[in-house]
Amino acid sequence: MKKFLAVLAVVALVAFAAPAFAANPFMDVPAGHWAYDAVAQLAARGVVSGYPDGAFKGAQPATRYEVASVVARALAKVDAEKASKQDLEMLKKLVMEFKDELDALGVKVDKLDKRVAVLEENIGGWKFNGEFRFDAKWASNGDNFNNDYAGGEGRDVQFNNSRARIHVTKFIDDNSLFFGRLNSLGATWDRFYIQTKLPYDVKFTAGRFNMDWEGDYGLYNGGENDGTFTDFTVDGFQFAKQWGVMNARLVVARNLELGTDDEGSFQTNSDESHMLYALNLHGDFNEKFRGGLMAYLMNGDAAINDEYAGDIQTYAGYFGFDFTPAVTLQGIYYMQKIDDLAAGTEDSPNLWKVQLNLKQDLLKFTSLWIEYSQEDNTFLSLNQLAGGCGAYDWSGNTFFLANRGWNNGTSKILFVRADQKWNDKWSSFLRYAQADVDAVGTDDTKMWTVGIAMQYTPAINFQLAYDQIDYGTGNVATGGSLGRNGTESVVRFRTYVSF
Amino acid sequence: MKRLSVFIVVSLLLSFIAVPSNAAVFDKVISRWTKERRFESREGANLTVSATYYGAEYIEAYIQSEAQKNLWTENETEDFKFNFLSALQLDEMIPVNIKFVNNGPTMHLGPFDAMISLVVGNQTYMPADYDRRFNFSFQGDKEGLVYFRRFDEKTGKDILKGVRSVKIFIRTAVSPVLDGKDITFIFDVANDDPTKLYQGKSAARFETDRLLKRLDKLRKDKAEHEKQLQGINDEIVTVQKRLDELAKQ
Repeated sequence: MKKFLAVLAVVALVAFAAPAFAANPFMDVPAGHWAYDAVAQLAARGVVSGYPDGAFKGAQPATRYEVASVVARALAKVDAEKASKQDLEMLKKLVMEFKDELDALGVKVDKLDKRVAVLEENIGGWKFNGEFRFDAKWASNGDNFNNDYAGGEGRDVQFNNSRARIHVTKFIDDNSLFFGRLNSLGATWDRFYIQTKLPYDVKFTAGRFNMDWEGDYGLYNGGENDGTFTDFTVDGFQFAKQWGVMNARLVVARNLELGTDDEGSFQTNSDESHMLYALNLHGDFNEKFRGGLMAYLMNGDAAINDEYAGDIQTYAGYFGFDFTPAVTLQGIYYMQKIDDLAAGTEDSPNLWKVQLNLKQDLLKFTSLWIEYSQEDNTFLSLNQLAGGCGAYDWSGNTFFLANRGWNNGTSKILFVRADQKWNDKWSSFLRYAQADVDAVGTDDTKMWTVGIAMQYTPAINFQLAYDQIDYGTGNVATGGSLGRNGTESVVRFRTYVSF
Repeated sequence: MKRLSVFIVVSLLLSFIAVPSNAAVFDKVISRWTKERRFESREGANLTVSATYYGAEYIEAYIQSEAQKNLWTENETEDFKFNFLSALQLDEMIPVNIKFVNNGPTMHLGPFDAMISLVVGNQTYMPADYDRRFNFSFQGDKEGLVYFRRFDEKTGKDILKGVRSVKIFIRTAVSPVLDGKDITFIFDVANDDPTKLYQGKSAARFETDRLLKRLDKLRKDKAEHEKQLQGINDEIVTVQKRLDELAKQ
């Protein structure tokens, strides 16, 4: 790649150069002309090769065509690893001198690749960017001083540099890139992968990457909501291929962070207990309609120390339809099969959700997202098990379904969010979620949030929001339920900075 | 069940509202050819990417919309149409306008022609040209045109002939906010016919323009051939002189 770029770098200048006087190509290049020494020096240093030994060493001077031929052959095999800046300058000078002859020989000096300057900048160029957010939270004492909103431990105020990240990207060549993300949480590289193109246009990813197929297709309200099943980090391989309107992705991975759920039934030995084989077939049938299928097969290794080693199979079908550019109806249906559960436990849980998305272009003063979901209470959300957020949680804590427990009921959840973009700087939002967890003696949970945000500059955003969650009364901590009661609220001021 | 019924009723009612009763006809057409995707990260970043496909329907609607806004005469509208179509190079190129609104980590898009492609059937096409400002890092807004060749370089055939839809594909590498997601925009182009635009006064102006360029090229070719002929004549004179000298010896 560097060789190719070096060639382009050389010819680039020629195309910008003023057209040289077209000399007779059969004229001799006079003895002592600097071109002879230039080519000889470059060859001696191994920068160029492919010009015959003995050329220009005879008594007869060469014609311009002959020298141009040598330069053309030399350009084809420039070794950029060995070329210094002076060598490249010399090559550029040679090309400029013999531009017309090279043109006649078919060396495309006229077809300038205008990206040369940018490529030169990017050769060996690492790209860095990053971000952090700073949260100040003042929580109520409503939940028996647990104050999960303020990080627990009985405190009701928390100042927290909750997320800081540095991203690193490097283009290895036209088809390959490396991406890494250093995360302040545990100071770990939570993204670390290369992407390249294999034969037959297969896109290959290897390393640590994120799987969020629901998010890829807009199947949850972005930002602080999350996928119902997906959005977790894996170590493995991904193969992706496109055929016309269809595209397919295959993932083979481990280290799913399949941890412990609230019930404790899925205790695993760290995170290396299961292989994941996942397949997604997606069709963009036209600009209005899209749909596809997903399959996740999680096969357990041999159990170690009472950890859960059963197999979990999850299948999904989804669709999206745009009635107009501002009105979208979409949904997803999951079926799951969980091995090795206790007798009487629903081991084939299902989950489905349907969403109506109305953009602000339609209603003018607000956008509207209305979502309804039915979830069997034994449905395993890998996202939640991996220590991530619940699908509807706010402020990053998994509390909305805290009283659901582990039982054969079916939760019904309604979620509504309205976003208002007043201008480029100011926006606001309201969200409401309600869950009927279908567990005996358990009250519905209701949560609402209101907030206002200011995009101070493209790099700095401030948000002030108030959230309240009402667990109802009479809830008991049993069967996996945390038994929360009453209300808890938080005022959060967030500062987000990117660079 | 009751909740589901309420949900369905509310959704249906809102769907009726979805028919824009007072939206301008032109705005409807324009919005159909502009697709937008918004991405938000849990950290607080947001990125909005939009793509506008310059189909004939869009261009006509856009021109008429501008004419209405600015109260142009017919001649002024034709002038604007001519200049607009000249910039778009629709006879040779497929232009797409890309806009980023980046309120997140700095985007490094260069080289941008490695970041964006046009997918038609099983073929992927890289840009022939694009706004070079995309190659520079930025936060905030950035917008520009990207051109794809309308005719296949190897076969010379129209790549959109018989095609129902095309896909604009942007790589995840453009922003960490995407976190591995590629961006795709689908446009249904089966009924798009840019040749309809080149009718009336604009057609005459474009033909004049083309013929002037052709005349210019022919004159340059003539000058070049005359120069070559002169070179050959000079060489003949030189050779003849030398032959004469040798004959005298």
